Amino acid sequence: MSVLPYAVAAWLFGIGLYGIATSRNFIHLVGCLGVCQSATYVLLLGLGYRWGGIAPIFYDHPPGTPAVDPVMQALVLTDIVVGATLTALLLVLTIQAHKRGGSLDPEKLRPMRAGGTSGRGQGASRVSDREQSTS
Amino acid sequence: MTVILPLLFLFTAISGTAVVLVRDPARQVFAIAVNGLVLAILFDGLQAPDVALSELAVGSAAVPLLFLVALMAVRTQSPEEKP
Repeated sequence: MSVLPYAVAAWLFGIGLYGIATSRNFIHLVGCLGVCQSATYVLLLGLGYRWGGIAPIFYDHPPGTPAVDPVMQALVLTDIVVGATLTALLLVLTIQAHKRGGSLDPEKLRPMRAGGTSGRGQGASRVSDREQSTS
Repeated sequence: MTVILPLLFLFTAISGTAVVLVRDPARQVFAIAVNGLVLAILFDGLQAPDVALSELAVGSAAVPLLFLVALMAVRTQSPEEKP
């Protein structure tokens, strides 16, 4: 039991990194990043757990009863909220990348251009193609 | 009680693996929701009820809804760009 939380956290982090590295879709990639974040939840709660401890709520328990570490639980609570915010931000960036680049595949995205948006650059190249074909 | 906690850890590892291995994003949403539910049960087993409640609200309801909204936005804007 003492090794299991760390093993599960390492496994979740590794499989999340594998998913990020091999993902061909940005939305799938954000989901894999969520798996990496869940590894940190498991690691922190496994660090603070005590065998036989109660939840750190002393309403109907006498003070001094062995309890699990409440600091780790506060950290995990913050981590969950920050993770949800990060997921929302990355999904918005994904939608913008799809709007500008035309694809959700990281391999198929057009490179960003220095001047102006890539959409404008594409329109300019289309116009130049038309001019070449008419002339 | 000594059996439940390792079992919950194993379920967490399995559901996290399922989230990664389901490659279609429309199906991955369900895997993410199940992963959030399993994580909430694990946190309750680890004597963290407030974290479990927050994970249940965020990881099992809010984040899959965000993914659904993102999928909807991507699908509705893709036919306009094809022509």
